[in-house]
Amino acid sequence: MKGRIDFYSSYEQEHKIFNNNVKKFWALIGLTFSVYLLVTVNDLWLFLLTYAMLTSIGAWGLNIVSGFAGQISLAHGAFIGIGTYTAFVLGGNISNNLLSYELDMAIWLPFAGLVPMAFGFLISPVTSKLKGLNLGLFSIGVVYFALHIFQNFKTVTGGSGLGRKSPDFILFGFNFEKGLNIFNLYLDEKDLIALFSLLILVISGIGVKNIARTKIGRAYFSIRDRDIAAEAIGVDLLKYKASAYGLASFYAGICGALMFSFTGGVEPNQFNFVYSVLFIAIVIIGGAGTVLGPLFGSFFFILMPTVIEEFIHYFGLFEGSVSFNLAQIERVIFGLFIIVFLIFEPRGLWGIWFRLRNYFKAWPFSY
Amino acid sequence: MSFFIQSFIEGVALGAVYSLVALGFVIIFKATDVLSFAQPALAALGAGFICYFATEIGFNFWISLLIGILLTGVIGLLVERTILRSMVGEPVFSVAVITIGIDILIRVFLDDWIGDEPRFIGDPFTTFGNFGSFNIGNFNFKYLEMTGLFVAFVVIMLLNLFFKKSKYGSAMLATSFDQEAALVQGINVGRVFGLAWFLGGLLAATAGFFFTGGFNTLTQLSFVLALRVLPAVVIGGLDSIPGAIVGSLIIGVTQSLAGSYQYTIEDLLGIQLGLGFSNVAPYIIMFFILLIKPDGLFGTKEVERV
Repeated sequence: MKGRIDFYSSYEQEHKIFNNNVKKFWALIGLTFSVYLLVTVNDLWLFLLTYAMLTSIGAWGLNIVSGFAGQISLAHGAFIGIGTYTAFVLGGNISNNLLSYELDMAIWLPFAGLVPMAFGFLISPVTSKLKGLNLGLFSIGVVYFALHIFQNFKTVTGGSGLGRKSPDFILFGFNFEKGLNIFNLYLDEKDLIALFSLLILVISGIGVKNIARTKIGRAYFSIRDRDIAAEAIGVDLLKYKASAYGLASFYAGICGALMFSFTGGVEPNQFNFVYSVLFIAIVIIGGAGTVLGPLFGSFFFILMPTVIEEFIHYFGLFEGSVSFNLAQIERVIFGLFIIVFLIFEPRGLWGIWFRLRNYFKAWPFSY
Repeated sequence: MSFFIQSFIEGVALGAVYSLVALGFVIIFKATDVLSFAQPALAALGAGFICYFATEIGFNFWISLLIGILLTGVIGLLVERTILRSMVGEPVFSVAVITIGIDILIRVFLDDWIGDEPRFIGDPFTTFGNFGSFNIGNFNFKYLEMTGLFVAFVVIMLLNLFFKKSKYGSAMLATSFDQEAALVQGINVGRVFGLAWFLGGLLAATAGFFFTGGFNTLTQLSFVLALRVLPAVVIGGLDSIPGAIVGSLIIGVTQSLAGSYQYTIEDLLGIQLGLGFSNVAPYIIMFFILLIKPDGLFGTKEVERV
């Protein structure tokens, strides 16, 4: 019986991270292939892949609070901002007019998660009182409030229109700029950051999977499905809603700290309302409430505009007739895919993948 | 004291224009259960249409104003008919996110047309009086703002009449009360949905004109002005028409007074509030009101069953 993939003899077995060997096998293949891909691709695609990996960490965070626990949050961008500036203050190079301590990444990275987490806990007593649309509108208020502070708190953020430079990647005294020689392979800074992002991505992914398959996750799902019923069966609403916000903000902070350290700097207006909506869109298009969905969504969103642009250039379509640049194409796709996915595939890319997988599972005998 | 009255009146005029957008929000939400984030884009689109017909094609301004407002209404109708009709009965938040998508799509094309330079929308308000303003005693009023106040007043009266006297007004009220029961009574609910979006478009475009008219000009950021209505709708309650008006007035006055008295407040509190504080002040009021009354001042409390 051991070889059968869909046969489980205990709940422990079914709830494992990889509940059968096929998944374990493909996950290993995927991981090996990702490492290979990151080491070999050219700089443009390396940048995009790293960016997408870091975005998916943030998307996972939003997925915890909105997808798992069902609490609508349009304020994710604000938490990403808090995490980013925590990292920038602790790790940033010392200068005259900006608050900075120039610490090691081993210190600023955990704090970049913990500080937004504290803010998440801080607002949770208010947010847990609100429901549905009012909660969403409240979080829009949080975005604008945070944005205002980011724009004006000049010693931390550098101020609107100027921004500040990112901290260097120095982990336990090892500066990523120096590069690394492994056998005959030279890894430069970009490769190292990409591989480090992959590592953090895998750790975050395992974290999300662990939340989804254990007691916390089941409590979240019950709150999402019907909060009054969840309370009736003994789920402590206040505690679990607070922990959902805390965890989501932790992921958001890690995402922001790494992402903007990777891109080299950030300007406060980055964390506007549209930035928060971007994460909502990623989670919805990827598949809300699933573990793999936000990962698909991020890669789809970050890679798609460039893929389309390359496509247009390659075939020479619309030459001269359309004056849209990359940012505009990006936003058209952004708007269009939100609408199309919500109408035609509410389960998102994960839904498509799920059906494909099940088709090939039984292939060629589909009945 | 005259400084206070001046900024108070300006706040009321601003709030009156806000109330036009807020009414659009509320009418759409009441009739179709959709929270429309596309309203800011519709407001900017209305201003864009007016600007296009008045400056690029060269129609008389008042004719282009009319065409622009009607066209925006039709766009609202089309959005409902093509995109949102298929989402009837879906979770409220999914539909709200769809309207964000619509908002982004409309704005991409609109921004591409507007370009980087601010555009005057070709209205004659700048030529009236002393650069579009007049004095009564110590007070200085802008023609555009006062017209906005007057128009908002007339529109609110007309809407009141519409809901009280007309057949479709009662149909809309019935639909907002219970969609299925209204359907059973022979009300064409689909048409009511369309009408709600048409009205939403008209109101947004009218407000869009007052946001961008005169020296305000139409820029890529004009839609932000209409987005500031959100706290007004929340304060008043999402499903209350009087609430929308009261909320808008509160927001308008708050914004105006916070702008005028920022230095005084800074002295009192001893901290710097920063540039653009007047735009954030409404959100602070919104936080407090949500803490006390989670459904807004006039909103109906939702009854929940397990």
